[in-house]
Amino acid sequence: MIFAPQNDKNLYKTLVEFGYAEYGSALEMLAASKRAESSKLKIGYINHALDEYRHSALIFKVLNNELKKNNGFFEKEFKFTPQNVLTKGYVDKNGFLIEKLSLKKFVEFIYSNEFLAKQSFENLIKRINDSKSLEILNEISKDEENHAHGAQEQHEDFSTSSLNQIMGEEDRHWGFAKLFYNKAFPNSSLSAAYKRETIKNKMRMFYFKNLRFLNKIFNPIINFFILIFGGVAILLNTSSSENKNLMSINSGSVL
Amino acid sequence: MFIGISAYFHDSSVALIDAEGSLIDFKKEEYFSRVKGDKSFPRLALQEMITKHNLSDSNISKVCFYEKPLKAWLTILKYSIKNNSLSNELTRNYFKNIWKSSIIFSYDLSKYLKVSNDKVLYSDHHLSHTLSGAYYNPDLPAVSIVIDGFGDDSSSSIHHIKSLQEITNVWSSDFPNSVGLFFTAITDYLGFSINEGEYKVMGLAAYGEPVFYKSLSETIYFKDGKLSLDSTYYDFMRSTTKSYSSKLSSLFNINERESNSSLDINSPNFKAYANIAASAQKIVEEILKDIFLFANKITGESHFIFSGGVAMNSVAINKLSKLDFISKIIIPPSPGDSGAAIGAAYYGFLQSNKNCLQNPFKVNIPHMLTPGLTSLADHNEDFFLINYERIADSEEIIDVASKLISENEIIATCYKNIETGPRALGHRSMICNAHSSIAVKKLNEEIKSRSKFRPVAPVILEEHAEKYFLLSDKIYDSYFYMGAVVEVKETKSIEAVVHIDNTSRIQLCKKDHILGKILKKLELSNIFVLANTSFNISSDPIVYSKEDAYLSIERMNIKFLLTESGIYKKINSST
Repeated sequence: MIFAPQNDKNLYKTLVEFGYAEYGSALEMLAASKRAESSKLKIGYINHALDEYRHSALIFKVLNNELKKNNGFFEKEFKFTPQNVLTKGYVDKNGFLIEKLSLKKFVEFIYSNEFLAKQSFENLIKRINDSKSLEILNEISKDEENHAHGAQEQHEDFSTSSLNQIMGEEDRHWGFAKLFYNKAFPNSSLSAAYKRETIKNKMRMFYFKNLRFLNKIFNPIINFFILIFGGVAILLNTSSSENKNLMSINSGSVL
Repeated sequence: MFIGISAYFHDSSVALIDAEGSLIDFKKEEYFSRVKGDKSFPRLALQEMITKHNLSDSNISKVCFYEKPLKAWLTILKYSIKNNSLSNELTRNYFKNIWKSSIIFSYDLSKYLKVSNDKVLYSDHHLSHTLSGAYYNPDLPAVSIVIDGFGDDSSSSIHHIKSLQEITNVWSSDFPNSVGLFFTAITDYLGFSINEGEYKVMGLAAYGEPVFYKSLSETIYFKDGKLSLDSTYYDFMRSTTKSYSSKLSSLFNINERESNSSLDINSPNFKAYANIAASAQKIVEEILKDIFLFANKITGESHFIFSGGVAMNSVAINKLSKLDFISKIIIPPSPGDSGAAIGAAYYGFLQSNKNCLQNPFKVNIPHMLTPGLTSLADHNEDFFLINYERIADSEEIIDVASKLISENEIIATCYKNIETGPRALGHRSMICNAHSSIAVKKLNEEIKSRSKFRPVAPVILEEHAEKYFLLSDKIYDSYFYMGAVVEVKETKSIEAVVHIDNTSRIQLCKKDHILGKILKKLELSNIFVLANTSFNISSDPIVYSKEDAYLSIERMNIKFLLTESGIYKKINSST
């Protein structure tokens, strides 16, 4: 669900990825709530989704403030565009996790990824923990004060920072997932799921870090295909519909 | 049953038309995925329809896709190969993303619905738009104007509809000469999201003067029956990330707006950006006027159907309605690509009913805005009661809602079927007393977090509308779904819902509509107008399910929620 290139020099891009990952988690939790039969579980998933939506919005606010602080230009790729949650793969367009996984696997997934998210947040906070950023984060905290939930009370030490607040809530989500899992599946072990998700996360990070290099390999191959098939495409004649009765054109044709 | 599907380019959707030719369901994928503008294959919407209507190969007559997939893909690819280099990012992007394009429609469909191949049809993109309008049109012959970004091989079309079986394409404009893509480029320049922020540009235009009109009109114009766009000013035909070139920037004396900063009346450079918006809006209005006049000349028709994304420009529609040669304009409630699924389903119906030359049913647009035999009435909403109390049951809704509104409270609604078009008309709305500036300001700026330059729409009972607004018979039906703006006659008591140019994006309603019933009751309190905005947070789709409604009232801190079962109030909230 979440991945973060921990040593990536580009903090802005890392924040963007975090923002989408949180948004993706919110959608997964909302989808889970729609499948839950008990009212209590439904509300539990919705509350989790509420946290994740808020985290996503906060992270994009942090990004905005970090950019302003460094006089950086707000690139269009930094702008939050909901559809990117699909194109970046944080939600699979072929199905939400709750549709694809058994309840056991679903909870394992949440547990593992909330734990990974917690670790990633710890690393992220270290990277922007200078006095000016904290000042900005305090302002964001004030903005969000009205929306803050009980997690703040459990993590008073971190109340100076929105990101720390997020971390506290991720901690709580992880704790809930573990509790629920142990209750529902007392004889199972979570460690295998955690290892599996850690490997997946590392592979995603590897892909993310080497995207430019991969493009260097694949672009000439794509150019070759364009050269071959592009020539054929130009020769394909798409019939004009000018002055034709559109109700009479071949309805079975894709061209 | 006839299924229409629109996907892969704009917000995807599914429409269902029955054997009699009536639209019985319409769903967008974003309702279920909760990803605004979701353009992926509408698997969730289709699955919902299959379940709710027990659809299978035995009762499905046709499944119709809204465009010709290979034609649409080849149009851009051929243009890009001819005009750009081989390594151009647009060309490469088209190749790399072929598996995300409509070419894979047949494969995607087969994953969720098993129907025999001869039942799968492909309509022409602009024909789907035309038929989505024809579905709501009672009279023929007519002329259909379709103007959007582009679809299949055209960006604009004029179709002469002599009967529902004889629709001739009498004129079209090819890519990249596109009014829709021009306006999108300006939207991009002004720092708003493409395919979403166009209506913000329209609202912003009222605050500016068209000082760039002359220079901008040299970059796109309609002359001698030809729409031309100077491609040196725009980059959408070369780039996947930027829609305008540095040459366009040089026309304006201000750089593009950074999209992370909010734009408000007091923002620096607000006026300069408003001037750009006003100029672009005037260009669109002038080109539309020219195209409509041209259509009238070549077909002799004065009865128009207008669809495509540009038909959502409600300000331009009001201007068009003042032209003498136009007798009527029908705009479908969902004129964009998602609504084209209705046209596609209708195409399937008409292909199977070749003797159907006119609309097979009595068109009554105000009663056709929330189609669906299924509603959410069977959805469990007991979970509300954990944090909310029910303060009214289903029979008390009108009385209690009216009382709350008269006390200047804001109510969110998740009531029965969702609206077909992009505008919330009461079933997925947030409403308040339009006579109260405080209530409207709270709704618009605090709860919805909208910019001050964007007005909230007024809702009024049909019988009182003439007192407040200047209505036009030519576009009367569109007032029921906020398809056009109107000039305001009586501004004083409803200032909060009147735009700076003294117009409003009005919604009329009938007495039997949920908002009509509330308004009728409110007459006793001298409240005749409600303010209405869609029930969603800006980056989210409009609320669909009960869970979405709960989540949204929590996120927006709204105290009251109206459903068909009653009205809920947050426990421990005052009032």
